[in-house]
Amino acid sequence: MPDICRKGLYPLMSSYLFFILLLPLIGFIGLFSFANKANKLAGWIGTIFTLIGLCVSIFVFMHSLHQSEVFEWEWLVLRQKSINLSILLNNQTIIMLLVVHFIALLVQVFSISYLHHEPHLWRYFAYLQLFVFSMLGIVVAGNLLLMYIFWELVGLSSYLLIGFWYQKPRAVWAAKKAFLLNRIGDAGFLIGILLLFFEANSTDFVSLSTGQLPHLNEGLMTAIGLFLFCGVMGKSAQFPLSAWLPDAMEGPTPVSALIHAATMVAAGIFLLGRIHFLLTPDALYVITIIGTITMVMGAYRAISQTDIKKMLAYSTVSQLGLMVMGMGVGAKEAALFHLLTHAFFKAGLFLCAGAVIHFLTPHDENHAQGIDPQDMRQMGGLYKYMPTTFRAYTLCAAALAGLPLFSGFLSKDAILIEAFHWGSQQGGVAFLVPMLGLFSAGLTAFYTMKQWKMVFLGEFKGDKHTISQTHEADILMKAPLVILASLSVFIWFSFNPLDAGDAWFFELFKTKPAEGSHLVIAVLSVLVAMLGLSMSYFDTLSPSKVGLIPSLSLGMEDVGNLIKSFLQRLKWLREHSHDSDKHLFLIAPLQKIAQWCYWLDQKIVDKIVDWVGYLTVILAHIVGRFDRMVVDGVVNGMAWTAGFVGNRTRSIQNGKAQSYLVAMLVGVLIIIFFVL
Amino acid sequence: MVPYILSFLTFHPLVGTLLIALLPESRKAAFKWIALFFCACQIPVSGVIWYFFSANAPGFQMVEKLDWITFSLGRIGTVSIDYVLGVDGINLPLLLLTSVVMLIGVVSSWGIKKKEKAYFSLYLLLTTSITGCFVALDFFLFFLFFEFMLLPMYFLIGLWGGPRREYASIKFFLYTLVGSILILIVMIGLYISVVDPVDSQLTQTYVHTFDLRYMADFKNYLSNSILSPDGGVLIFGIPARAIAFWLLFIGFAIKLPIVPLHTWLPDAHVEAPTPVSVVLAGVLLKIGGYGLLRIAYPIFPDAAQEYVFVLALLGVVSIIYGGFNALAQNDLKKMIAYSSVSHMGFVVLGIASLTAEGINGAIYQMVSHGVLSAMLFLLVGVLYDRTHNRLIDSYRGLIGPMPFYTIITGIAFFASLGMPGFSGFVGELFSLMGGFQSQWLPTWVAALGTLGIILAAAYFLWTLQRMFLGKLWAKNKADLTQLTDLNLQEKLMLIPLAILTFLLGIFPHTLFSISDKAVENLLKLFP
Repeated sequence: MPDICRKGLYPLMSSYLFFILLLPLIGFIGLFSFANKANKLAGWIGTIFTLIGLCVSIFVFMHSLHQSEVFEWEWLVLRQKSINLSILLNNQTIIMLLVVHFIALLVQVFSISYLHHEPHLWRYFAYLQLFVFSMLGIVVAGNLLLMYIFWELVGLSSYLLIGFWYQKPRAVWAAKKAFLLNRIGDAGFLIGILLLFFEANSTDFVSLSTGQLPHLNEGLMTAIGLFLFCGVMGKSAQFPLSAWLPDAMEGPTPVSALIHAATMVAAGIFLLGRIHFLLTPDALYVITIIGTITMVMGAYRAISQTDIKKMLAYSTVSQLGLMVMGMGVGAKEAALFHLLTHAFFKAGLFLCAGAVIHFLTPHDENHAQGIDPQDMRQMGGLYKYMPTTFRAYTLCAAALAGLPLFSGFLSKDAILIEAFHWGSQQGGVAFLVPMLGLFSAGLTAFYTMKQWKMVFLGEFKGDKHTISQTHEADILMKAPLVILASLSVFIWFSFNPLDAGDAWFFELFKTKPAEGSHLVIAVLSVLVAMLGLSMSYFDTLSPSKVGLIPSLSLGMEDVGNLIKSFLQRLKWLREHSHDSDKHLFLIAPLQKIAQWCYWLDQKIVDKIVDWVGYLTVILAHIVGRFDRMVVDGVVNGMAWTAGFVGNRTRSIQNGKAQSYLVAMLVGVLIIIFFVL
Repeated sequence: MVPYILSFLTFHPLVGTLLIALLPESRKAAFKWIALFFCACQIPVSGVIWYFFSANAPGFQMVEKLDWITFSLGRIGTVSIDYVLGVDGINLPLLLLTSVVMLIGVVSSWGIKKKEKAYFSLYLLLTTSITGCFVALDFFLFFLFFEFMLLPMYFLIGLWGGPRREYASIKFFLYTLVGSILILIVMIGLYISVVDPVDSQLTQTYVHTFDLRYMADFKNYLSNSILSPDGGVLIFGIPARAIAFWLLFIGFAIKLPIVPLHTWLPDAHVEAPTPVSVVLAGVLLKIGGYGLLRIAYPIFPDAAQEYVFVLALLGVVSIIYGGFNALAQNDLKKMIAYSSVSHMGFVVLGIASLTAEGINGAIYQMVSHGVLSAMLFLLVGVLYDRTHNRLIDSYRGLIGPMPFYTIITGIAFFASLGMPGFSGFVGELFSLMGGFQSQWLPTWVAALGTLGIILAAAYFLWTLQRMFLGKLWAKNKADLTQLTDLNLQEKLMLIPLAILTFLLGIFPHTLFSISDKAVENLLKLFP
């Protein structure tokens, strides 16, 4: 077995990490192989596994906070050069361990009730365990190689969970789309890892950051950084690879809460936090731009959604853009902080949405026709029917909208402050970035209010029959909501509700957000949020229209139409069509090339082979004919000539002495003629 | 150490052939059991070889050398053809693979109902020739086995194949024969140029040899011979050694196969019966890669190094071109055949990189692909046995009636598209890593190779989506009643393979530790 080398102060801690990693793996294998016999128990088994994991991570948190530990082992030795894998334990690891376990626990408890009628529950919880395993792998990975391994496994578990209802063609399609877009990002990520491994001979976070990085050319480092960022673009749904996330909502709602709001999509941000030291200013600039585009686009698209989950999905895209932008402007800790707060309130929002959907789904099958329990236009007035959900949703939504006294405000503000700082340092166009950040904060407040209003306020617009039959969720569903909602309040993160500067989170990293005019920006962002909220509240336009924009988009109509018609052409990129295989996502252009290639293969490459075959046969026939006509002809001809000459000369040799004499005479004469 | 174990491994299936040939036709039930017995024997025997193999010893082990044909040509020298077998880190993994795949192949032949006698005796003959090909260290002997493989293959496709079997088998035969001729030319050229240093010393004459070990040493070349490394004979202005290298390369590239010499493969696979497809993709293709590593690269390192870029590019083109073609297929078997082309492209890229990572990765990829393609073709066979239709668009939602089949297919697909935890990932990772590490290759070549992993995801997942998931539907309604889940025989073949790909993916160390030393020796030729 390969040698194992140990560094760090408390090598024992690593064995706890291995234990944490092993638990969900055992859970997955166990549930997948045996739990079809105990479908009802599967949820509890999974929950217990995650609970144990959470306890162990709390133990690790208590014992090794502020300690950094690397556990490295040889994976392979090739030509006396070892390729190592390692796990890394530091504060970033510990925080994520807690977040992943905690949210996974709540989501599983929620799912037990939410999916209780599901026949394949064991499969669902097995996949969840697989996901927890791979996500924890990303969290503890100490080098990029190991991270890539788990990165791919996260993609797999996401595929399995989105496509959990495999009978639904749309779900299967969305799962494939998610996997493929992630794969594109991952291919870039892999290039980055292999380049880095080639240039620096290591992909280990600690040894790279402690100055083992040789003096590499700046351009190369930028390229490596951007290739690594491709992975982030896939997993964290950044522009232009963001399209999979809204479609991933085809999966069960608790999955959306866990994977597509709190953890998996956060993996990209987590990765950026790990490799931040590698990124050159140029790379960071690009990252900032991508993050900003994603942030604004996501928020803008969220406004026009009518599906309760899709709106939240676009909101997630936008918030991830904000985090990436934060990473780009150098606010690494603030971005991670937002990752943390966002994980709670967004998971809370998704679970609330799940509770709403659960409430509105008709129980008898024949009544379910034509009812879309996710359509917000069919909702309204739900505060009367589901008060707990309403309160929980309100708290989480307030955090998302960035209202003071809530967690989202603290972290968003911390990013914005750094962004303004960065903008003023860079000057010029760069100042657009924090301005757009502020703008999308306004948009966020706008759509949050819109959703809140559409779902809970006013009168119920849907089918009254459904409501009369159902009742609000049971305790298993309510408890996670309440816990997540309570975690959206500022007090858990910082005692000062207006300034994250004193938050314990920043103390973990021994940094403080950039100095600057905190208060001005705080007030500014509160104002923007308020503006967004009130505009949305008083907006009376039909819900499917974009309420905020008409005043802005005057005169932009032509441009808008142009863009629209262009986007229409790119339909294959976004849409799933039921009827045929023609417009399947991403396969469409690939398939074109594939068909060309196949044509080339059939008509050219293979035809050449066939023609060589034919020509050989034709040549063979020609040769055959030549053989018969010419070669054989010559032989035959010679034989014939011989026969002919023989016949002719036979008469000469007739046995008469006279003719011999004549012949002799002729011969002698010829000889004499030649000799002379 | 067991004496003559390699000969035993190679030739004991011939005993089976003989046995089957001698038994009367009335005992036909015994034929498959005999074949099973002899193929099953391969596993412990190759296990023993693995056990006695020492990974850290340089050079060949368990070498068996016998004088075979020797005759004097007077002043010109002496002809000497030896019977030399041996194993090192390059062929041992492939030997192990061969014994596994050949056994699986017999089990999947259980349903053969036509001319069993001929079938199983040919199958055992094939086993002998493939194994011999992997262990032969004498070029002449290698060539003999290499050619001998064609005969059973030709009949196995041509007699037990699908509707276009004659076209496919002739195409296969001719293609490979062309490759063999090229190899033969180089073999003769090498024979003229290389002398056996030991025997020449003894007899004070030039004793020409076919021994591959001598051919790989520049000291053994006659100084004015055609392929002499320093003689520099030019043919049409090109060094003879470069031409010889390319002839060998093309010869093996046909087997591998590399675009554009691959078109025999889809046809052969589509027409071949399932077990023959399994053997063809699982083992036969690897002889191409093995030939490059055993013959072309060690004997012509100078040329290999000079054309490193073109070779790597050919590999990358195979990866991408094969991937796109796989995406265009509607026949499941053809799709898998093209995916083989794509996956073998990684082997070429890895070998061409001339790095420890790349070549070890290429060997690993060959083993991994052997296991995975065997699995994939078996899975196609499962469907084909039931409905005689393997068009992708004829089915939807197969998971309904065949859940276990779908799980195994899912495992095979995800393993093939390079999911970590399975063997495909390690092979592709290290081949690509070699491409990046190589000092002779520009980065973009290897970077282009990563396109292959996107394409693999596209065609495998799309197939999974179209055929296996969604609501149950079949174009031919009568098929619906035929769709039953895996039976015991199929499970016996598929589950071990699934476990194998998983184990290989989790413990890549097992294979790399075998091949590492041999690759290190090989790389010494490339300064």
